[in-house]
Amino acid sequence: MADKVTKEQIYEKLLNILSEDLSVDVEQITPTLEIRDDLQFDSLELYSFVIDVEDQYGIRISDEQIDRVRTMNDLVDMVYEIVNK
Amino acid sequence: MNDREQQMAEGLVSIFEKVLVAEEKSLQKGYFTKLSLAEMHTLDAIGPYDARTMTETAQILGITVGTLTVAIDRLVKKGFVERKRDEADKRVVRISLTRDGKIAARMHGKFHKVLARHILEPYDDKEQELLLKLVEDVDEYLSTQVARYDSESQLRKTAQDVANDVRRRKSDG
Repeated sequence: MADKVTKEQIYEKLLNILSEDLSVDVEQITPTLEIRDDLQFDSLELYSFVIDVEDQYGIRISDEQIDRVRTMNDLVDMVYEIVNK
Repeated sequence: MNDREQQMAEGLVSIFEKVLVAEEKSLQKGYFTKLSLAEMHTLDAIGPYDARTMTETAQILGITVGTLTVAIDRLVKKGFVERKRDEADKRVVRISLTRDGKIAARMHGKFHKVLARHILEPYDDKEQELLLKLVEDVDEYLSTQVARYDSESQLRKTAQDVANDVRRRKSDG
């Protein structure tokens, strides 16, 4: 079986996606940053981000799970749980 | 028709029309002005995670493969759908959503969920359960009515039934 993906690796990957697919300046990103409020993501950008994360890891993230995510850390934790389930 | 029947008849038609109008407006005002409501429902039928065959998708939508082909051609041109050969069986073509297609389908799904949330919100748990049960019953009844129109021969029979019903009611009245 493949090695577990670490939370650090997921965080790095999320930064990559934000910078490459959504042209976000990653300098401003911190683990406690609120995705909707601090990044001012509207629903289109949020779904684009989520869909890119899903594609990256071959996972599914439901609307209910998205609703529970506030910070980058929340998203990392959630992806970590789904990927390593 | 008595008052309750009248109210129910008007309510059903009004709900049907308003859901469609709300959906159409959400598309016009949203990010996907290039998509018609019928096209959005085609994206829904394909689904964000699946690579379906044309036959499967046509069945879900209740249309012919010929009609679906025209719709899919347009959606491919607009960049919301892509066609790919099946890995295992190269003769089979599968359709799936592009990144834009997935975003559109998920945002539209969210529209329906938010609508449902707002309808349920004013009610307590028990009332919500009752409301859902009633909606389910109405849906079930309508499904049986739709099933009657499934084939042309049945359609003739249905038309005959309706005519008989009307005649019976006239003679009763």
